[in-house]
Amino acid sequence: MIKVIKPDTDNATKKAVKALMTEIHRDDSKDRNKDRNKDRNKDRNYVNMQVNPCKMCMPMGGALALKGVKNAMTIIHGSQGCSTYIRRHMAAHYNEPIDIASSSLSEEGTVYGGSKNLKIGIRNLVNMYQPEVVGVLTTCLAETIGDDIERIVREVRDTGEFEGIDIIPIPTPGYGGSQTEGYFDTIKALMAYFVKKPIQVQKETEETKTPFINIVLSDATCEDVREIKRMVELFGVKALFIPDISDALDAPFTNHYNKLSEEGISREELAKVIYAKATIELGDLVAPNHSPALFLEEEYGVKAYRLPLPIGINNTDCLVKALAEVLDKDIPKALEVERGRLMDGMIDAHKHSATGDIAVFGDMNLVMGIAGLVLENGMQLKLAATGSMSKRFKEQLESKLDQYQQKAEILQDTDYETIREVIQLKGVNLMMGPSDGKFIWEKDHVDFIRVGFPVHDHVGAQRKNIMGYKGSLIFLDEITNHLLDQKHKGYRERMYQTYYPKKESHKPIQTDEAAR
Amino acid sequence: MSESKKLVDKVLDIYPAKVMKNRKSHMVIKDASVKQEIAANTRAIPGIITNRGCAYAGCKGVVIGPIVDMVHIVHGPVGCSYYAWGTRRNKGKAREGGQNFLEYAFTTDMQESDIVFGGEKKLKAAIDEAVELFHPKAISISATCPVGLIGDDIHAIARDKSKEHGLKILAFSCEGYKGVSQSAGHHIANNKLMTDVIGTIDTPAKEFSINLLGEYNIGGDEWEIARVLTKIGYNIISTMTGNGAIDEIANAHKADLNVIQCHRSINYVAEMVETKYGLPWIKVNFIGVEGFSKALRDMAKYFDDPALTARTEAVIAEETASIEEEMATYKALLDGKTAVLFVGGSRAHHYQGLLREIGIETIVAGYEFGHRDDYEGRDVIPYIKVDADSRNIEEIHVEKDEKKYSLRIPASRAEQLKNEIPWASYDGLLSEMKDGTLVIDDLNHIETEQIIKILKPEFFGSGIKDKYMVQKMGVYAKQMHSYDYSGPYAGYQGAVNFSRDVAAGILTPAWKYITAPWYKEPLLSGKVEGVEQVC
Repeated sequence: MIKVIKPDTDNATKKAVKALMTEIHRDDSKDRNKDRNKDRNKDRNYVNMQVNPCKMCMPMGGALALKGVKNAMTIIHGSQGCSTYIRRHMAAHYNEPIDIASSSLSEEGTVYGGSKNLKIGIRNLVNMYQPEVVGVLTTCLAETIGDDIERIVREVRDTGEFEGIDIIPIPTPGYGGSQTEGYFDTIKALMAYFVKKPIQVQKETEETKTPFINIVLSDATCEDVREIKRMVELFGVKALFIPDISDALDAPFTNHYNKLSEEGISREELAKVIYAKATIELGDLVAPNHSPALFLEEEYGVKAYRLPLPIGINNTDCLVKALAEVLDKDIPKALEVERGRLMDGMIDAHKHSATGDIAVFGDMNLVMGIAGLVLENGMQLKLAATGSMSKRFKEQLESKLDQYQQKAEILQDTDYETIREVIQLKGVNLMMGPSDGKFIWEKDHVDFIRVGFPVHDHVGAQRKNIMGYKGSLIFLDEITNHLLDQKHKGYRERMYQTYYPKKESHKPIQTDEAAR
Repeated sequence: MSESKKLVDKVLDIYPAKVMKNRKSHMVIKDASVKQEIAANTRAIPGIITNRGCAYAGCKGVVIGPIVDMVHIVHGPVGCSYYAWGTRRNKGKAREGGQNFLEYAFTTDMQESDIVFGGEKKLKAAIDEAVELFHPKAISISATCPVGLIGDDIHAIARDKSKEHGLKILAFSCEGYKGVSQSAGHHIANNKLMTDVIGTIDTPAKEFSINLLGEYNIGGDEWEIARVLTKIGYNIISTMTGNGAIDEIANAHKADLNVIQCHRSINYVAEMVETKYGLPWIKVNFIGVEGFSKALRDMAKYFDDPALTARTEAVIAEETASIEEEMATYKALLDGKTAVLFVGGSRAHHYQGLLREIGIETIVAGYEFGHRDDYEGRDVIPYIKVDADSRNIEEIHVEKDEKKYSLRIPASRAEQLKNEIPWASYDGLLSEMKDGTLVIDDLNHIETEQIIKILKPEFFGSGIKDKYMVQKMGVYAKQMHSYDYSGPYAGYQGAVNFSRDVAAGILTPAWKYITAPWYKEPLLSGKVEGVEQVC
């Protein structure tokens, strides 16, 4: 039985109550000050070695982008392992068939050039699958042996065997950047290819007259894409998502299995991106030379908007304002209602969510977006980390932190070994990021919300909605409930430990963390 | 027979002529009355969606990676290390006072400048960092594709750094493009274990000492096997390499018997150890109740000790009695169902017995990276044509170690035993298959689709890459490389776990709701007390 405590009984109890309240509200301003003074001065503990990497390679991003293109197949020019590993990781996350071919480069191909393998590979792939689009991604191997895939693909096209099939060479060397750059480069390559196709010069068809916008969205789940699509449609305008993974990687069960995905953006749609009113690129951290929106603006005069991912109220406001400006329309009532609901939820949740000491890691754009939601909800951002190399990530986050008068550790080009250390150091009580954080969760018992890519040890990651007003609220509720559960868990025991034993045997208050 | 034939014809019909000829040689409809031959371990056809991986996956991912107390540095751009991070769910425990790095992925994360100017400096510094900060027992360096091409001499670095730091550093030139599949990587890893590890520590072994070879402790398999073996009285000197420890493997030659689970990935070590140290090997199958009991009895026969044999029988009796009822329940649920197995270089064979025990017959089976001997049995080895791809993988030759060699069993007794137990022999997967069933090597995406369409099995045991296409077609698919986060499946308790998972997968009520009710019956099914009832 729990003994009822009256706050005014005696001094010791008063002290204990205060200590408990302090603990519950996690008012660790002193710690925060300490953190402020501590300057780690480096992004990674080990200079020459990544210990548990927080990034993947370029072909992974390329493969993901191509999955959002209708009737497309991908062939990776390199060892079989590249294709196999990428299929394995994407299948585990999306729980969908991920069928990617390989040019199966062997030692012979490596020595004498991989052209023969790639040509045979493309021919077999086309013959067996009859795709409309073939994306040819390179790897470290293909790039290191110096295979000129532009030339190889041109030679394949020149045979005349593949009329009507668009074969697109896309350089994605594994050492050239992370999956994020691979993703954006592939989108850029797709646009660059299709807008130049001679047949597309026929301007101003009925369809192109209807106003539409391009949306390039990174790090989004299938549900996020559907949600942003819905938001744009509320303005009465169509959006072209490049790529559109929404149904391709979260396909309903239909009883008919199609080897070729009929979902995703079609090549006809890709060809008309230059007629869009503007391109809104969500996820603005890749360097300008990787940006598809800037490419379209510079080459074809399509206005480019580069915005953060629409996670949280501020970032979603940004998107909504941009849409209203581009389309010259009023903000739809429905969106106002959704914003109001999010606002209401934020206010209601704050007394709980404010106890969050948060670490976010993973893809840089996603981390930036989630950090925004964390800050605007009055949680303490303790760590924001990405494995990609990005000075912009650091700069943007720093200015955001200043805006909220917070200090947090910001790491780019980092690894999970370093992330784990900072999490321990900063007393984080909730982390968010891809499944790789599970090792920290298992070892240090830090509460963990899986978000981003890859999530392979939970189901439903492809359907998680964290973007837009609606998604942000779902996500905020999830975060708040995690923090609430931390309070609820061990609450009785904590109270008992604090108040029930005899005065002289007062023990320090057991927090969940200490109890572990 | 006709179904298998129909399938083969249909599949081959899809292919262009050249591909057709190639793929045809990888398919065999079992006919026990003739000697059958299958093409295997040849190059996958570019552009065909094969499930095969690369040499790096076989070396670091399969054989070397599970050794718990080593820091496994992957030298190359970041992807390969990331993708092989803990993905086979090999389990491992730190030894007393030792370390366990299974949950780590280490990489030099080579950048473009490293590719241009060479990555040796970075690798050396990475080794220094690893030693300084993790103090591992040993280090491995696995090369990924670009490393061999840019000429980084990982072997020289391993030698120098090994001297400098006074610990074992093993370098593996397992660039992904070598060989035709993971199999090349197994061989590369085996060679190094033989030349640099086994035989470097000489701690005398107790009686009934064995090594478990080709057991990778996926989902805790090795722990269940070891539980029973220890109960009988065996001493497991080392496991290669699931839950393996480097010093234990170094001492492996002191055991009296090698038992081989996965023939494909470790038979090179088994053979070389026998030549060099006189330690023989037998092929076992720890999967399935009958399989496990047979393995235990074969081992007892080898040691030929009355007390050990008695304990073996007692443990078999006790263990099988404890699971009998539950296994019977699953059999009643699953009897008469059919399975397709496409996995690894041994599992497509090993699981057939266990499936049969719960009433499931395997109608198609194949390996991803098996060789002809894994299908046809080791007798075929002298007749296998060695092609250029295999020739490029170093074949090392070992000699008898005069100081350490000893015959465990008198030659005459050995000769006799060879007729009784699978002494240095393996009959292969074909021997297990029933007449009329189909064996396909290096199954691909297109063929998988046809198998499901035409044969409509109830169970498809493979990996995550084909799991979702199979399930989209309405057939339960089970991951058998990493067991969908379950396990162990080996041994007696494992058999129960496996059967439970299979029953749950095949019998899930979800399959019944695939077709919406309005396609099956009229919308209104009747009236109850004047209220229209729709459900």
